[in-house]
Amino acid sequence: MSEMINVKDLITVGIFAVILTVLIFLFGMLGYIPILMIGLPIIAALIAGIPYMLFLTRVDKFGMVTLLGLILGIVMFLSGHTWIPIVVYTICGLIADIVLKMGNYTSIKNSIVSYGFFSLGVFGNMLPFYILRDYFVESIRASMGTDYVNVILPFLTNEMLIVLIIVTFIVGLIGAYIGKIVLKKHFKKAGIA
Amino acid sequence: MGLKLNFNLDPRTKIIILVLISFMVFNEVPLYISGILVLVPFICLFFSNRIKLALSYILIYIFAKYIQIYLLPTATGIIAIFLIMFSYTATRMLPILMMGYYTIQTTKVSEFIASMEKSNIPKEITIPLSVIFRYIPSVYEEIKSITDAMKMRGFGLNAKSLKNPLKLIEFYMIPILVNAIKTADELSAASLTRGLSNPISRTHFVEVKLNKIDYVLLVISFMGLGIYAYYFLGGVLFA
Amino acid sequence: MLKIEDISFSYDNNETNYNLADINQNIKEGEVILLCGESGCGKTTLTRIINGLIPNFFNGTKQGNVYLKDNLINEIPIYEISKYVGSVFQNPKTQFFNVDTTGEIVFGCENLAMDVDEIKSRLDHVVKDFKIQPLLDKNIFKLSGGEKQKIACASVSAVFPDLFVLDEPSSNLDAQSSWDLEDIIKNWKQSGKTVIIAEHKLFFLNNVVDRVLFLENGRITEKWSIDEFKSINHRDYGLRQINLENLYVNHDGYYSNNQDLMELRNFNFKYGKKQVLDIDGVKIPKNEIIAIIGKNGAGKSTFANCLCGLKRSCKGEIIWGDVHLKRKDLLKKTYMVMQDVNHQLFTESVLDEVLLSMGEENISRAEEILTNLNLIHLKEAHPMALSGGEKQRVAIASAIASGKEILIFDEPTSGLDLKNMMKVSENLIYLQKLGITSFIITHDFELIMDVCSHVLHMEDGKIIDNYKINEDKLKNFFLKN
Repeated sequence: MSEMINVKDLITVGIFAVILTVLIFLFGMLGYIPILMIGLPIIAALIAGIPYMLFLTRVDKFGMVTLLGLILGIVMFLSGHTWIPIVVYTICGLIADIVLKMGNYTSIKNSIVSYGFFSLGVFGNMLPFYILRDYFVESIRASMGTDYVNVILPFLTNEMLIVLIIVTFIVGLIGAYIGKIVLKKHFKKAGIA
Repeated sequence: MGLKLNFNLDPRTKIIILVLISFMVFNEVPLYISGILVLVPFICLFFSNRIKLALSYILIYIFAKYIQIYLLPTATGIIAIFLIMFSYTATRMLPILMMGYYTIQTTKVSEFIASMEKSNIPKEITIPLSVIFRYIPSVYEEIKSITDAMKMRGFGLNAKSLKNPLKLIEFYMIPILVNAIKTADELSAASLTRGLSNPISRTHFVEVKLNKIDYVLLVISFMGLGIYAYYFLGGVLFA
Repeated sequence: MLKIEDISFSYDNNETNYNLADINQNIKEGEVILLCGESGCGKTTLTRIINGLIPNFFNGTKQGNVYLKDNLINEIPIYEISKYVGSVFQNPKTQFFNVDTTGEIVFGCENLAMDVDEIKSRLDHVVKDFKIQPLLDKNIFKLSGGEKQKIACASVSAVFPDLFVLDEPSSNLDAQSSWDLEDIIKNWKQSGKTVIIAEHKLFFLNNVVDRVLFLENGRITEKWSIDEFKSINHRDYGLRQINLENLYVNHDGYYSNNQDLMELRNFNFKYGKKQVLDIDGVKIPKNEIIAIIGKNGAGKSTFANCLCGLKRSCKGEIIWGDVHLKRKDLLKKTYMVMQDVNHQLFTESVLDEVLLSMGEENISRAEEILTNLNLIHLKEAHPMALSGGEKQRVAIASAIASGKEILIFDEPTSGLDLKNMMKVSENLIYLQKLGITSFIITHDFELIMDVCSHVLHMEDGKIIDNYKINEDKLKNFFLKN
């Protein structure tokens, strides 16, 4: 086990970044249906747990998960999600990496928790929409009246964002757990992981 | 087409413009303020022979603006919410998405990497990014091929199998991930035999340099951002 | 030039189970060496020892030394080795790092930090050598298999290595592209380069190889000069035929006696404005094993997709006795065994895979199918853990289970050795006995001669010939003119 990230690690990061990107885009498209937008991070967190856990079987040194986050952020940036995702994904990746490091890259518990943090990266894609939100609310108030706004506002507040983050984190844990099961059910049996 | 202008931007220009346009998402401004930044993706698409897309982009944009200005004040009910969502998303996100689309569609991987490495971006970032550009088409092919395989076995994106979406996801995920691992290994092996792990910094056959057209667009974009920022700051200062 | 001294290697650090054992060889400058033997004999492992992937990429226990021009390879990093050894691999999907052809050709030179003028002159040199001017600045993934392999060869050539190592380079190539590969190897040989090539498909190597090494269980058990090699009986060693002239039709005539025909009507397909498929009023015998031949890009895959009902805009139908099978019926009646069979295996065990295909699960019927295909001992295994040939059989089993009547195989024998090719033949004959009609898209002349009874020859999206198996016509197509 070498401490330096080598070419193979970098290529592995690239390959898994593609898979996560495709997933996020696929579910991101559902996100353009306005109501589902709120569900995007949750669905993404649930599904992406499988590739993430498989990715971890290839990770044994600090930096790879952070790098995966950074790369995902750059992809989001290049595809027109502003530069916010770069910051958010990298931070989430870094936290995930630290959690893994504390478990020496072998602890299953740490793997699952690390994914909880990693899955929050999707909020990088969401933040621009959240900033947009104020304008939604204003316009809705202008055209629909205050009563209506009061009904839907609870779903759009900052408190709601925090709730959403917590929910996503928990769903992330579940996603990682499912990932672990799938890993055992398929990839271990197939001799891949 | 008569437009055989040599419109080939340096990847760095594209990225800088992307960053600049990104600021647009944060604020709502009148069209005469954001107009220049809205036009930049149009110019890029139009002159790189994506005329249809460029025109549809600008039409959708104008349509969204029109909704915002003229229809919203009178609309009510669920239609209003829909119109609000559509018009605000379109006016704010569309320029960035279009610029992103243009960047990805028109940048050769070798150019992109060359320009990144010229800007001293480390290979920890350039190598995964090159892999991404290269692997996305393969994954797309795989998804198509798996969908075909499912259809032949009588399940796919139909009502019957959507009842069990988790199964469906599993069916897609397993083959793709198995091939992903295989690709990671084989591609790593092939790249190593081509000397990719050489610690000496690579040279670049592709020439990337900023041309007149890059400077013109950069100046336009910075002007656009300048007006935008002035308005925004002015608004804050004098509000 | 290259000296291999007492090399032994084991991937899983198992001292009793060597993947390579006691390899000793001296290879002279300018020699072209063929490594052959059954799948798993160790020939790929040997190429990895030579190009430095062992021990730089694959871990295991290694003994012995390899000297390249008197330099010990074990002790230099792999990027140094890459200056002297160029490697071409089997799978065109995974050996390219770039998306555009030009970028790929100069990639090695860039990694070795050559200056731009030098790279330019080398690029010009290989472009002239390989006659690939028209392929420059294209998307690699839109090229045909043969063109891809040409780019791969040109890319390693641009570094001007002394030694080329090729690991099953022709697996995905049609006949013509294989002959092109022969020209490339000849070209290398003429400029004094040494070439080591591990292959199953041998026919295109007839006139270029100097020596042949035969491996068995990780050991070199036979060494032949090319002339000796030509005179041995290849089947005795489980090898593919080197001289296609020596092949003859194994099954002269149709399998079924009832001479029923099906008719293909109106199989048209366009990509944009380009007509890529145009087949109408073609009559084909039912319940036979039908080869579909033609160059890369002749429209064979599109045809297969339309036949399976996978292309929505293709309105083609099959007149099958009294019934007209339209697209949706075809989807139910046909099944394609894909080239990348990984894409069609979904479950966690072989048995589940078969059950999944049944309308109503019937375990004893499923087990019966598995027994007939010699898969019953694997029924609990994960499909992805199987060998290529076994995966193919699982796909066939699921097709039988769902009651399909037409099966289409896309290159079922690419990269298979003789033994596994014969197994494919057996499967096809078994399917014929079940009353199933099989279409086989293939470049494998040996397979066609072994098992097919009818041939469709495609060119430019049309069927230009439709005949009962005929040696002369086939040789005319497959042999080098």
